[in-house]
Amino acid sequence: MRTTTPPQLQVLRTVVIADDESSMRLLVHATIESDEYRVVEASDGTEAWALVQKLRPSLVLLDVQMPGQSGLEVLKLIKDDPSLASTRVILLTAKAQETDIESGLIAGADFYLTKPFSPLDLLTRVEEALEL
Amino acid sequence: MTALRRRHRGLKTGVDRKGWSLRNYMALFTGVLIAVAALAGLAVRGQSEMDARQSASADAGFAAQRAATQLKAGFDIMQKISVPLAADPALATVYADPTKCGISYAPVGVFDTGHIDIVRLDGSIVCSSLKSASPGRSPVYQGQDWLQSSVPMSVGPTLDPLTGNQVVVFAYPVPGKGEIVWFLDLVPIGPKLESEFGSGVHQLEFLITTGDGRAVVARSIAPANWVGRKLSRSPFVTAPDTSRPDLNGTQRIYGHAPIPAASWQLYVGADQAAALSAADVSSNRDLAIILAGVAIMLVVVFIVYQRIAEPVRRLSNVMRGSTPGDAVTAVAGTGAVEVTALAEDFDKLMGTVKRELGERLRSEQAAVVSERNYRMLFEGHPQPMWLYDVKTLAFLQVNDAAVDRYGYSREEFLAMTIKDIRPAQDLPKFLELEALPLPAFDRSGPWRHLMKDGTVVEVLITSHTVVFGGHDARFVLAEDLSESQRLELELNQSRARAEASAELSRAKDEMVSMVSHELRTPLASIVGFAELLVTREVTPAKRTEYLRILLQEGRRLSALINDFLDLRRIEGGHMRMTFASADMTALIRRAIDVMSAGGGIGIETRLPDILPLVRVDADSIFRVVANLLSNARKYSPNGGSIVVSAAVVKGMLEVTVDDEGLGIPSDALNRVFDRFYRVDTDDRRGIKGTGLGLAISKNIVEAHGGKIAAQSRGVGKGSRFQFTIPLARDRAQTGDVLVVEDDSGFAHLLEAELAGRGLTTIWAADAETAERLMTQTMARAVVLDLLLPGLSGEDFLERLRATHGNVIPVVIVTLKDLNATQSLALQKLGVIAVLQKGAGIAETAANLISKSLMSEVMAS
Repeated sequence: MRTTTPPQLQVLRTVVIADDESSMRLLVHATIESDEYRVVEASDGTEAWALVQKLRPSLVLLDVQMPGQSGLEVLKLIKDDPSLASTRVILLTAKAQETDIESGLIAGADFYLTKPFSPLDLLTRVEEALEL
Repeated sequence: MTALRRRHRGLKTGVDRKGWSLRNYMALFTGVLIAVAALAGLAVRGQSEMDARQSASADAGFAAQRAATQLKAGFDIMQKISVPLAADPALATVYADPTKCGISYAPVGVFDTGHIDIVRLDGSIVCSSLKSASPGRSPVYQGQDWLQSSVPMSVGPTLDPLTGNQVVVFAYPVPGKGEIVWFLDLVPIGPKLESEFGSGVHQLEFLITTGDGRAVVARSIAPANWVGRKLSRSPFVTAPDTSRPDLNGTQRIYGHAPIPAASWQLYVGADQAAALSAADVSSNRDLAIILAGVAIMLVVVFIVYQRIAEPVRRLSNVMRGSTPGDAVTAVAGTGAVEVTALAEDFDKLMGTVKRELGERLRSEQAAVVSERNYRMLFEGHPQPMWLYDVKTLAFLQVNDAAVDRYGYSREEFLAMTIKDIRPAQDLPKFLELEALPLPAFDRSGPWRHLMKDGTVVEVLITSHTVVFGGHDARFVLAEDLSESQRLELELNQSRARAEASAELSRAKDEMVSMVSHELRTPLASIVGFAELLVTREVTPAKRTEYLRILLQEGRRLSALINDFLDLRRIEGGHMRMTFASADMTALIRRAIDVMSAGGGIGIETRLPDILPLVRVDADSIFRVVANLLSNARKYSPNGGSIVVSAAVVKGMLEVTVDDEGLGIPSDALNRVFDRFYRVDTDDRRGIKGTGLGLAISKNIVEAHGGKIAAQSRGVGKGSRFQFTIPLARDRAQTGDVLVVEDDSGFAHLLEAELAGRGLTTIWAADAETAERLMTQTMARAVVLDLLLPGLSGEDFLERLRATHGNVIPVVIVTLKDLNATQSLALQKLGVIAVLQKGAGIAETAANLISKSLMSEVMAS
């Protein structure tokens, strides 16, 4: 005989942040911190891809230049996996050349932000991406 | 030719060689052979005599045993017959009626003759084998020892009362009746024993004695005379089996056997002379064989000497001054084949040697002529020419034109290397090219050469590789550029420049992209957090954290920009470096002091007591050392020792920084000096850095003409960074005034002012270097700054006064504000003036120094 009722399940959406610079992770985390989603951090591309496979997040914020697997490589892995079709990706990069932006968008990123970026812009992009 | 003859004479007179001639060896061999043969002869003789004695002794012993056995057998037979007979009841009948008796004598052993009697107790005969002894009542044997004996006994030798012969008597008692008595003749048994046992080479003689030394048998010497006689001298009794004279003086070797039944001793003597004469025969045969062998050996030795030694000796004599052909004649016909062949080979060799000697003489003469021609060409050539050592780069020879053109005396040139005629800014490129293998012949230019007066001229160099005095050297001709050459070279250069500039622009693009990335990362944090702070309400804790990151990233950005600008300045050659002598030990210690201010791991030094001074831009090299130390500490997050060592290696000073930290993967070793390259492994992700420190260090070291390299045994096994810098040359360390000043700009200003007053200057950027320079140079005055890195100006002054006294005038020029006590202390140390740095102060200082030195000259 059950004496307790199970807790009310709330479906929290997950966001993965991948950047090798701890200050950048903190900035992104502080910017998008919200009760509506869970934020998980990864310090390189390999760790990010492992977290994506495990948590199946709604959104991934990828730094392009990371040791190990680069952000573009992780992006390609996500796009190649049909089970991750609903996962959105925002690329963050220090590179500001057009070829970089093109290659990022072609690879299927939903948005692209160049460092330094405005936290407000980032927040807007994140909300847009999650509504897609 | 004369030289050759002289050498031959030298050989002939120098015959006092150690060692023996072949002839001596032959004589020695012959002597040894004869000596050995003689010894062998003696041994053979001794051995055969010993053998003969042993054989004779054995023969005598054997004969004695056999004879004793035979005698004993005879005695046993008597016993066997007599004892039962005495007990026989029939004997009583005989005693009662003698007519019934019939007895005969049969030979008992060796006793062929004798008789047997049955005797009554009163000595009368009952019955006898002797026909002449008629039985009767008359007591024939009255008084004999054996009569009435109740036990069997033997007596003898004694005279037989019946026959008068020498006999031995055996009596066996017949109880109550009398005796059975045997009389055995002794005289015949000597010859009997001899005929039975004495045959053979040893001519045996038999002698039997009684226990008390009377002769029983004496074979050869009138037996009748000797039997029964007591032997006056009886060595046989005490020591048988040896050699001694017999009864009539013949030397014999004796064997011996006892005969217990009669208490007799039996001696058998072999004739020693006869035995030895047989031994002589056999030993003489052996000696003859030995002598024949020796004779054959001597013949062989003689032949060998004739066929080998003698021809070789003749050949050797001929060799001391022969012409080809002599050698063959000298040994022809008499020598062994090998010796003849040797003579022919020698002749061939002689021919070759003479031919080659002649050729060498000719070529030496030719070389002398060509050397003279070359020297005339070299010395008299209107263009500067020199030879330098490829390894040390030192000048080996210079011609007059070089001395005229470059302004250095010949002695100065020979104390210099070819590096010294290059302007300082060309040195790195020069050393880089010098490290590449040079073609055997090379014509290149234009090169910038530095004259002694400081002017720089452009020259075209023609050079080729030569060997000079055993060194690998390079012969160089330096021509001033003609107008057409200059134009051609300029055309080539402008083409090369165009290519280089295209390359440069590519590199610049890459650089811009790299830098923009490196700058954007900290900038992103700064802008982002600043915006968060401005736009959001944050908790005080977060606010502090954000501000901390702002500060940290701002500093990082600032360091990055500074490092980057420095790198650009050095790479572009815009960084002004002022080279001066410096004490590396002081530089290293100062860098460690600065590092230690931050705490953390201690830094150990392994420096020799005295390192030679180096020629460096002290600030830059300090920066290199500090950068390497800071890296060593940064990349040793788990501690471990850091060791700085220095040593002179191949004419350069080599500084090494070892740590036990994270190490460097082997594939990254040659990339760590690249701009912005940072080793990227998990263990060092948290370690901050601009990625420019090592690139800057590499540029600084190379601008000094040195090299920098990294080594590591792998990740986690520590790193080693090593760089080299050139030593200061002694030549550069003379001057009238020593300027001790860490501000190179002010030092140069002073130098110019002093030069205007005819005074030369040496400069030290710190007090430690200044101290070293004072011990090496003859500086007559000192301009001293007080605020110096490391040892202070005041300390230096005190030590200077302690070592050099008050003779040397000192002017202090400083930014330091001095109070009255400090000024007074300086006055006490005998300074001429204490000047505060400011406009025109260099001129004032130079005037004071100049005046002081002038007055010194006037006074003296």
